[in-house]
Amino acid sequence: MPDTQALPRTAKTASGAHSRPTLFSAAGPKASLDAPRRRGASSLQGHRARAGVLLSLPALVLVALVLVVPIGEAVYYSMTNWNGLSAQWIGPGTYLSLLENPVFWRVLENNGLLMLSVPVALAVPLVIAALLHEHVFCWRLFRTLIFLPTAVSWVVIGMVAVRVFAPAGPINLLIGTFGLGRFETDFLGHQYTALLAVALTFVWSMVGTNTIIFLTGMSTIDPSIYEAAYLDGAARWAAFARVTVPLLRRYFQFSFVITVITAFTALFSLIFIMTGGGPGYGTTTLEFFVYQQAFNQGQFGTGAMLGIVLFVILFGVSLAQLRLFRGER
Amino acid sequence: MSVGSLATKDNRPDRRRPHAPKRGVPSRARFVLRRIRKDPASIPIFLALLVASGVMLYPFGFMLLNSLRSQSQYLSGSGFSTASWSALFSYLPVGRELLNSALVCAASIAIILAVSSSAGFAFAKLSFRGQGALFVTVIGCMMVPLQSIIIPEYVNFAHVHLINTYLGAILVYAGLGTPFATFLMMTFYRGLPEELVEAAVCDGLGYESTFWRVALPLAKPALATVAVLQFIQIWDDLLVGLLFLQEPTNRTITVGLGVLSSGRVVAIPELMAGSLISALPAVIVYLVFQRYLVAGLTLGVNR
Repeated sequence: MPDTQALPRTAKTASGAHSRPTLFSAAGPKASLDAPRRRGASSLQGHRARAGVLLSLPALVLVALVLVVPIGEAVYYSMTNWNGLSAQWIGPGTYLSLLENPVFWRVLENNGLLMLSVPVALAVPLVIAALLHEHVFCWRLFRTLIFLPTAVSWVVIGMVAVRVFAPAGPINLLIGTFGLGRFETDFLGHQYTALLAVALTFVWSMVGTNTIIFLTGMSTIDPSIYEAAYLDGAARWAAFARVTVPLLRRYFQFSFVITVITAFTALFSLIFIMTGGGPGYGTTTLEFFVYQQAFNQGQFGTGAMLGIVLFVILFGVSLAQLRLFRGER
Repeated sequence: MSVGSLATKDNRPDRRRPHAPKRGVPSRARFVLRRIRKDPASIPIFLALLVASGVMLYPFGFMLLNSLRSQSQYLSGSGFSTASWSALFSYLPVGRELLNSALVCAASIAIILAVSSSAGFAFAKLSFRGQGALFVTVIGCMMVPLQSIIIPEYVNFAHVHLINTYLGAILVYAGLGTPFATFLMMTFYRGLPEELVEAAVCDGLGYESTFWRVALPLAKPALATVAVLQFIQIWDDLLVGLLFLQEPTNRTITVGLGVLSSGRVVAIPELMAGSLISALPAVIVYLVFQRYLVAGLTLGVNR
């Protein structure tokens, strides 16, 4: 049986240098003294290379056909007026014309506004994880329940959210009970409140994932650090702010990336069910715009271009966070 | 033990924590009382977690409660009936769609497991020309968002008549899941000692049979993690199904539900009943295989 912590721990080596097998480097000098054995070793090495190609081939073919070729096609077709059947070359200038499209800016604004919910989607889980980490009565049951929405599809979440944000729905009821009656509204009926409803639903469904990530992080912290802090007279709150939060930096970073990527690329189903991108372009994010342009309007070229823009944005986010991380170390 | 090998780090403190004696209610109650006396803050923490769990569970209660109403009962907010459950089956071919979902999930996961377990082994334990470049290509595809490739994908598949076939959707799902699965498998194999492969090869096994008879049996927990992650991903997907499975007869349950809701002619209690049915399999898988899901999720932290 492998080591009990095989998976999480070995993840650390993944970014390191390609680990080279030791067998042949160790046998090298001896083999060079012994001709027949060297021939054996080199045929073994050939066999090893053949096996490597053979075993990795199916994955390579699948990934090439389903992912690599389409991304190349998307780059090409993004510079054409493709309608799915015929395509005429327009050239890279078409990316510039995007900048003059007010709808594109409206869509980017929606993505930007959604980004404002990311800190909330990290802060709430941090608090919940800290509470869970106190290991009070039944905490494992709570952990299971809080993580549960991770298994539920955006379609189902959206289906409920539509009713929850409805004019006579629970949210408006709640607002009314707190005596804030003038804030009662048809959330999904107006552009910015609809986006707010989508953002709140998004935050709600990120809670489980981020809580588990933070909780995992907290359990890697050596308890003796806390003992030392408490011996020095630190209050619980101070220990949390000065010990827990700084030590969770990597986990924050990971949660941040996951949350941003989700906000940019995983909300299609939620928006499809909750608002259909409306009212107007009120909840159309970039990924939803891709779908609309291509499959509702038949503008496959524009859709492909928007898809590439989305890819570039996400690539930028990943690079920026990698850079940030390197700078911190 | 093979299950334990994927135990996540957040399980560790439980083991150290002394468990309450399970002899009877009184001793358990005394244990709780002792803990409360030791740490008075545990009561507000408990209550806060109770509230948080309530908020997370709310949608399930909402679905269950309102699926047990007729449309007029839903609007008035009182009374119960089972009418919507019987009506649901006339709107939504539930059995057929559940079967479609299961079929698509099973086939995609089988492909993903086959290609990622072998490729992961090749990348972790073998060396061949171009290995580094190929590895970067496969892993780099993790960063490609679905929306960036879905349009050319759709048109390509239309050219070879794979739209509205199970095979088309299965291939797309399998392709999308392979990069991360390969990364996960490779990470697992890297944790196996190098001597294991050397010893097997010295004993006369070829590299292929070393993979098949030595490494793969050890990788069961990693395979389970891949399978659980992919199951939830594929079961819950809408976009791929919406485009690649458009016939009412081959839709998955999630797609069927999405299409039903966008039509906006169906009564809300029936939609709630349908939602509950579509969520249930993934929730059960989650409850049973929770630790694998957590392991897969937090694997990326140390990347």
